[in-house]
Amino acid sequence: MLKSTPKLESTEKWEAQIRKGCLDLVILASLWKTRLYGLEILRVLEQNSRLVVAEGTVYPILSRLKEEGLLQSEWVEAEAGHPRKYYWLTAAGRLKIVSMAHFWKGFAASLNQLLVPVLNGKDDKGEPS
Amino acid sequence: MNLTHCIPMVDTYFAQLNSKLSDLPVERRQDFLRELRAHVLDRLEQVTAPSVDDCRSVLKALGTPDEIARQYRMEMILRTSSWRLSPFKVLRTTLRWTVAGVQGYLVFVVALIGYILSASFYICALLKPFFPKNVGFFVSDAGINFAQFPVQYGQEYLPNYFIPICIVMGYLATFGTTLLIRFLVRHLSQLRKKI
Repeated sequence: MLKSTPKLESTEKWEAQIRKGCLDLVILASLWKTRLYGLEILRVLEQNSRLVVAEGTVYPILSRLKEEGLLQSEWVEAEAGHPRKYYWLTAAGRLKIVSMAHFWKGFAASLNQLLVPVLNGKDDKGEPS
Repeated sequence: MNLTHCIPMVDTYFAQLNSKLSDLPVERRQDFLRELRAHVLDRLEQVTAPSVDDCRSVLKALGTPDEIARQYRMEMILRTSSWRLSPFKVLRTTLRWTVAGVQGYLVFVVALIGYILSASFYICALLKPFFPKNVGFFVSDAGINFAQFPVQYGQEYLPNYFIPICIVMGYLATFGTTLLIRFLVRHLSQLRKKI
């Protein structure tokens, strides 16, 4: 079994911080097309963004986003027997996610540009590193 | 779906979580717990005959009551509208944090001093019309004084502006204290781990 080194641990922590920072964006984006309940949102997170988070993490964030006026919710009696709380974007939520998406697009493009030589494995002189 | 094996474990879990969130308003707490319970039931529905181990796995994937309660409090603190929180709510919350150690105690003391200062400004503004010669911005050899009974010493400055200035200062002290508490909570790492 590969023993985790300090460098690996710090990378994992960094990745966890990145994922955590993107949660608002991903949760709001998951609700762009349709209304979903908590477990469905988690499935979207896992399938579309590879964001695997502790499941209980999502619900406090949903509560906060609702308090901020970005989401609205209602309890719906499901055929399964127990009710489910469905969420959908408010008008303010739609504006917010559009703004966030544009920011992310520009930010990711700048970052990708910066990382091209790193991914190509070359130093600042163009020599293989 | 037979949840006979799971019900005691689930009930214990949510009793613990309910206890961790006991200071929240009843309606908000019950709604949150109801939503988490629905999540647990949804997860267990994916298993044909959920065993005790299945229940344990579902609750483990959800997170411990401590983790969920901490995350919930942090999210409520970080919400953009949190500066509108009542000083009484902030004080009550920071009082609970005194058990989190020195940093929690520091945050509570800062909140207490800040809100007492803002209350003092409001009280001065309130008393000025009733005690115009005893309440105000007085400067004497002994220093600056805002209120003294039965007799006030020194010269009064800005008598006509004292009330609006006190109201503005009181509001700024309240607002500034709330912002400072938010700042301290975000940056005091030991406190964040324990609340």
